[in-house]
Amino acid sequence: MTILALLLIPLLASAVTVGLRNVRRMELVYLLSAAGSFVAALWLAADVLSAGPVTLAGGFFYADHLSALVAVLTAFVYLVSAPYAVGYFRSDEQQPASAISARKLREYYALTPLLGFSMFLVVVSNNLGVMWMAVEGTTLASIFLVTFYGRGTSLEAAWKYAILGGVGLSMALFGTVLTYYAAHEVLGGESLSVLNWSVLAASAVHFDKTVMRLSFILVLLGFGTKAGMAPMHTWKPDAYSEAPIPVSALMATAVVNCALYAVARFYVLTGHALGTSFASQLLVLFGLLSVGIAVPFILVQRSYRRLLAYSSIDHGGIMVLGLGFGGPLGALGMLLHMTFYSVTKPLLFFCAGNAQQQTGNDSLKRGPGGLLHSLPVSAPMFLLAALALTATPPFSMFQSEFTILRAGFAAQRVGAVILFVVLTVAIFCGFFYHVANLVFGPPSAGPRGESSRWKTYPVIVLSLIVVVLAFWLPAPVYALIDGASRILVIQP
Amino acid sequence: MFWQDPQFGNKLITMMAALVLVLQIMMVAQRWLVTNIRAFGVQSFLLAAIAATIAHFNHAPHIYIVAALTLVFKAILLPLVLERMVTKIEMQQQMEPFVNVPVSVIVSGLLTLLAYVVAESFHRPEEASGMGHNTLDVAIALFLIGFFMMVNRRKALTQVLALLCLENGLFLAAISLTYGMPLIVEIGIFFDVLVATLLLGILIYRIRETFDSMDVSRLSRLRG
Repeated sequence: MTILALLLIPLLASAVTVGLRNVRRMELVYLLSAAGSFVAALWLAADVLSAGPVTLAGGFFYADHLSALVAVLTAFVYLVSAPYAVGYFRSDEQQPASAISARKLREYYALTPLLGFSMFLVVVSNNLGVMWMAVEGTTLASIFLVTFYGRGTSLEAAWKYAILGGVGLSMALFGTVLTYYAAHEVLGGESLSVLNWSVLAASAVHFDKTVMRLSFILVLLGFGTKAGMAPMHTWKPDAYSEAPIPVSALMATAVVNCALYAVARFYVLTGHALGTSFASQLLVLFGLLSVGIAVPFILVQRSYRRLLAYSSIDHGGIMVLGLGFGGPLGALGMLLHMTFYSVTKPLLFFCAGNAQQQTGNDSLKRGPGGLLHSLPVSAPMFLLAALALTATPPFSMFQSEFTILRAGFAAQRVGAVILFVVLTVAIFCGFFYHVANLVFGPPSAGPRGESSRWKTYPVIVLSLIVVVLAFWLPAPVYALIDGASRILVIQP
Repeated sequence: MFWQDPQFGNKLITMMAALVLVLQIMMVAQRWLVTNIRAFGVQSFLLAAIAATIAHFNHAPHIYIVAALTLVFKAILLPLVLERMVTKIEMQQQMEPFVNVPVSVIVSGLLTLLAYVVAESFHRPEEASGMGHNTLDVAIALFLIGFFMMVNRRKALTQVLALLCLENGLFLAAISLTYGMPLIVEIGIFFDVLVATLLLGILIYRIRETFDSMDVSRLSRLRG
């Protein structure tokens, strides 16, 4: 039942919003749907924690610890970005040259819950075909969120996003077809359940090795495109810098999580069929490539919106690296990183959004600097979030990256670990240099003070959570992460 | 009777699959957009026919539904919509590929060869009698040539066409390997493809309004 609630709340919100004309009511429906989804996701997690995997409709929907964790993280980002979005668009409307109409806002308030619905469907669908459809759904729902401002550059970003996403997902579908073929040979029958993950995972040991090898390559490339892995990452900086901030925050965390969730599901199947070494090698390769490709672009970046996008390519790579190192530590490190990342990244986006709306541009070079004087709350939090995101101790991402490092040593991939440390340090230097330049410096002309409570409170709440997480991870959350990581460990 | 003989069915499928491949290379080779769209329509029609043949000889009625969907949406509806778009926005009918036509055809030939090598690894002697298994090579070739078309074309609409060709390759692979995905999944994929084409169409209109051009190579202001 909780699964149904999780799916129906955003879907209903989207349907209701289409019929509304009053922007205040749209905001209300949107806020309610965010709160409702979060409650439903927590409920689902509680069910899973107390009674194990939940199924619905004869196994068509299936939620284990991994699904519940990703659902909670998705719902969390959706929840915190909701009040921020309200403030963000109200500020946008007040801009003198703003072209934001009620119609435009209805597009946002109707499409974002649809994006949420697709993401929840990704994590609760047992059927790999349906999961693919849901991932495609996240692309379809977000194309017109990227073009929200209707500038030439946003159309360009949306076009790249749609075409690259389409090509990538067609590869993922091919991989899914091949997995179905491998399962079909073993399990036989035309029934829908042959594509169910819970059924596949139980019998994957007998699958044809050649087919599964090709299938995993295609799936990794396909869902990897969606997660923004190098070298298929080129749409990412464009889309993140053109979309409105709440959309960027959702895409950079929740959508990436969902794509990596899909990769992880196939990783388990491939691991059962082939042993872990083949999949691990590919994952480590792509992970390192993503972290590495982010380095030069972060060092010489001119726009802080794009800086955040490259950092999300970097963190996607780190999570894939954790999965690739494998073993109990690798899986745990990946999921811890996913959790901490989903809390920290929206904070950075919100601070960046406040700065951009205050100064009117997102440039790092000709920007005024001295944000500390004009934004008394967002600017210091920007600095704090940048420290947290670059895994400075004592912040929690240091713990997760350290766990991944230990997993790398346990897997005896010393070369990869050393390379990873070097690249991460380079990213820390570049990222911190840029953000420090932005925050400090002489005060500039222009408006002073935070412009809206709607935009300030989410920043304060998220900062508190980031600081608390550095010292204390609540026991149920850890239980969920731990349970999920056990699913990703493949016994030889 | 010959229409009950699986041998005959197999030959029929092989012939249609060969035609599908020929059509794909024709799309690469010729420069007129409308002809390209029609070739895509005929290709989809042949795919529907292949699906129907497999449904007939394997007594798998659910594949008939898939065949009918392909016929209605991909062979008739999508080509009509795309052609209307071409006339409505009065774009130039030439393709303007990055690589010239002779080289493109040679590349397609090489990709077909590659597809045969990949499909070889799926070949199992004990399944040689399986209906339609010999079309996997064609499916992979369609997929690869679709990729090539995607990177070789400048116009926004032709990239959409390349995406649809990729999807046709996928459809053929699913049909030839497993006689189609489960029905719900198959219908879902159809729905996704339709919505994607629709959204890309709207996006093309907006690009056309803003840039006064459909040349995607002009979309290059975002860098670094």
